[in-house]
Amino acid sequence: MTTHPYLRAFLAGSFVPTLILPLILTGFIVLRLVLQVPFPFERGIVFPMALVPLLWSLWNMLWLCSSRRTHLPISVHGALLPLLLMPAGALLATSMHILSLGARGVTWFGSVYVPYAWIVPVFLAALAVYYLMWKYVVGFLNRTLGIA
Amino acid sequence: MNTRETDRLKMLLQTALPPTRDADPERDPVPSRDLWPEIRLRIAGDAPSPSHAIPWFDWVLAGGVAVVAVAFPAAVPLFLYYL
Repeated sequence: MTTHPYLRAFLAGSFVPTLILPLILTGFIVLRLVLQVPFPFERGIVFPMALVPLLWSLWNMLWLCSSRRTHLPISVHGALLPLLLMPAGALLATSMHILSLGARGVTWFGSVYVPYAWIVPVFLAALAVYYLMWKYVVGFLNRTLGIA
Repeated sequence: MNTRETDRLKMLLQTALPPTRDADPERDPVPSRDLWPEIRLRIAGDAPSPSHAIPWFDWVLAGGVAVVAVAFPAAVPLFLYYL
């Protein structure tokens, strides 16, 4: 299996977000359609359901392209992705009025309040999650598909 | 392929691959015992057990993530938003 390595990298990269999609869709249906929560979640759902899987795939293709020169482990490469995703997601969420910035914190979806003091530990935890996901899941898939 | 070509091919093969019994016993000594059990033991000794397959650093990271998820439960939907 030596052909189309970038296609295989694309598919391996989109694996984890694709597994999360049903959870997000279930949450959306429960909150918006069943519980009738009066907040337009559908505005922001495009980010986790379309852009995040695409960015994971492109990030894995970038790793495949650059790893021979940089020798960067896939875990570290994956842990760098939140540095791009977090600002992009926050910018998109702010522009779509999903995220509102306050004096002491931010409010997501009009109901989830996150103080600014939480951002550092939450961000570090996000880096750790990405580190582990890319090391054990995406790395495993890359090895299975013969591109690592 | 005629007989002449066959003989020539046979000669070339014998030249390229000399029989092992002609090998120098000092340079290529035959082991006096079966080495396979030792190789199996070495493989079994080098193979990491499931508890040691994951480095301690990764356990620390996973524990930290669990602590943050418990301490800041409102952050869990944000994690899903970025996955």
